[in-house]
Amino acid sequence: MNLKKRILKDRLLNGMTYLSSGISVLVLSLIFVFIFSKGFSTLNWRWFTNDYWSVNSSLAFPEPSTNTFTAPANLGSNVSFSTRYGFAVKDMVDEANQKLILIVYIDPASPLNQTTVLTPGATFGKAQPIMINETIQKFTIMDQTGISHSSGAIIKQSAAEFINTLDTQSVSIKSAYVQTIGGGIRGSLIATLLLILVSLLIAMPIGIMSAIYLNEYAQFSKVTPWIRSSIELLTGVPSIIFGLMGMLVLYPITAKFGAKGTSVLLGALTLSIVLLPTIIRSTEESLKTVPDHFRSASLSLGANMSQTIFKIVLPSAIPGIMTGVLLSIGRIIGESAALIYTMGTFVNDNPKLLSGGTSLAVQIWSVMGGEVPNFQLASAISIVILAIVLILNVSVKFFAAKLRKTW
Amino acid sequence: MENAFEIKNLNLFYSSNHALKNINMEIRKNSVTAFIGPSGCGKSTLLRCFNRMNDLIPDCKIDGTILLDDQDINQKNVNVVDLRTKVGMVFQKPNPFPMSIFDNVAYGLRCQGMTDKTQLKAIVEESLKKAALWGEVKDRLSENAYKLSGGQQQRLCIARAIAMAPEVILMDEPTSALDPIATAKIEELIQDLKREYTIVIVTHSMQQATRVSDDTAFFLLGEVIEKNDTKTLFHVPSDKRTEDYITGRFG
Repeated sequence: MNLKKRILKDRLLNGMTYLSSGISVLVLSLIFVFIFSKGFSTLNWRWFTNDYWSVNSSLAFPEPSTNTFTAPANLGSNVSFSTRYGFAVKDMVDEANQKLILIVYIDPASPLNQTTVLTPGATFGKAQPIMINETIQKFTIMDQTGISHSSGAIIKQSAAEFINTLDTQSVSIKSAYVQTIGGGIRGSLIATLLLILVSLLIAMPIGIMSAIYLNEYAQFSKVTPWIRSSIELLTGVPSIIFGLMGMLVLYPITAKFGAKGTSVLLGALTLSIVLLPTIIRSTEESLKTVPDHFRSASLSLGANMSQTIFKIVLPSAIPGIMTGVLLSIGRIIGESAALIYTMGTFVNDNPKLLSGGTSLAVQIWSVMGGEVPNFQLASAISIVILAIVLILNVSVKFFAAKLRKTW
Repeated sequence: MENAFEIKNLNLFYSSNHALKNINMEIRKNSVTAFIGPSGCGKSTLLRCFNRMNDLIPDCKIDGTILLDDQDINQKNVNVVDLRTKVGMVFQKPNPFPMSIFDNVAYGLRCQGMTDKTQLKAIVEESLKKAALWGEVKDRLSENAYKLSGGQQQRLCIARAIAMAPEVILMDEPTSALDPIATAKIEELIQDLKREYTIVIVTHSMQQATRVSDDTAFFLLGEVIEKNDTKTLFHVPSDKRTEDYITGRFG
């Protein structure tokens, strides 16, 4: 009886651990599968280099000619060619699941090369040819009876239907409304890289020097434990508070450099404060692994303290410091709350140090926070972030293994 | 014969622990002085007083004088960096820096600001020759020092100290991590070196003390029980405790 109870209890507890680990693995893999299935179709090279915002242009056409064009060879399948106007289009679907008509070829003599700006204003009448890789929203055409029609994606035509309308019904094109493809992450990629670079440039020297002070110079000082615990405390502060502090305290500094409002520089300054504890901790840990006999040997040869530290101790600690830097990069890429107030949430296609922009993580926040949340785009950005974090983690393991080498 | 060090009324405390008690001793120039005694008797501590390595230990207080060239090295105004170029040190475990053989020997000189390559090369070669290592490493000076064997590493550490042209070389159990053959080489080297340098060696091996040293000091519980020339100390010890130790009755 007692034995039976014991066996039952044993099985129950074992079962619970199996179940729990099973659940956690399942949940994690579900998240991965979900994000990949949603976002993977968006991943392509064009998406990495594209602007986020699409630019619309309203253009006027020149007087019609009676030329006919012949399609070039190797246009590929699913491409429709207009013999009347000399360009080719195909169907495509963008990140927001919109059906678009994409221009893939324009004949050198095509009237599409001679369009002018139709929007009133300073640029009115200036030449602005239609380009390959733009999408056609609307062509307004005139038929034999002199009546205007709309054609293009705006009336939900496919590429083939659109070309058919153009070649069989139109006498001339009155105006065109074209759009560049948006939804790209180039701007956020650049902003993220800029952010990583600048915040590391600020945080690394300060963090490493502080760690040296704490571990080498002030090792036995009575204040050191206090400094150390306040640094540890910093790691527990929610990053949105750093964001607030950055906006209130650090903004005047960036304003001196000429930044108006949120900027990449302000984000980097704020993040460098977020990173300091990580860098100080990991540098200190790696300084501790440098054997003391190196320090004694160096000092006994008449080297002074700073020579000993910078010529002997620090070079031996580099793998550990690299680990800290890689962890910091991971933190920068994953950070969003501290950046919302400091770098802004407006996706900027050409971010500069002193202008606002979004990091990849904040772009997710932005595309999901709009009137029409774009889940597909958010998932695709998530895949990029996950990939970078994975690479960083593998590198950390690599450097940690190097650190364990024996002297 | 002249003295390298004259130690007068030296007392040393690690916080409340009285580690060296009223030491009075002379170390003769161009001779080998061995410090023997059981573990924790203060011999290494005294050795580390000679180049002020005890400065690195917090709560370490030193009273008394140690004269080197008629100057008290315990004075505050003594330049420690200068002192350590005059008094070199070799440690228990071979501890070359993780850099090339050449850079190891040139390290101290470069720290002093020497940049002239031909001068550096000349001194590195001379030091390695004096440390009886040149023949073994002359073709591989740019290799990492950790590719050398333990005995070679220790001789490299000696060469590194010699490069600074010291007056005194302190050796803290320099052969305790080495095999007998490497040990014999180092002992031979010590005999060669004493023509130019004063050598103070801490050793746990009484055989080693008799083999290499001219004078021997026996330490016990922070006191120098007896100091004499090596032959006298080992053959006719004047103190009962010395006799007990060298005959192996304790320690």
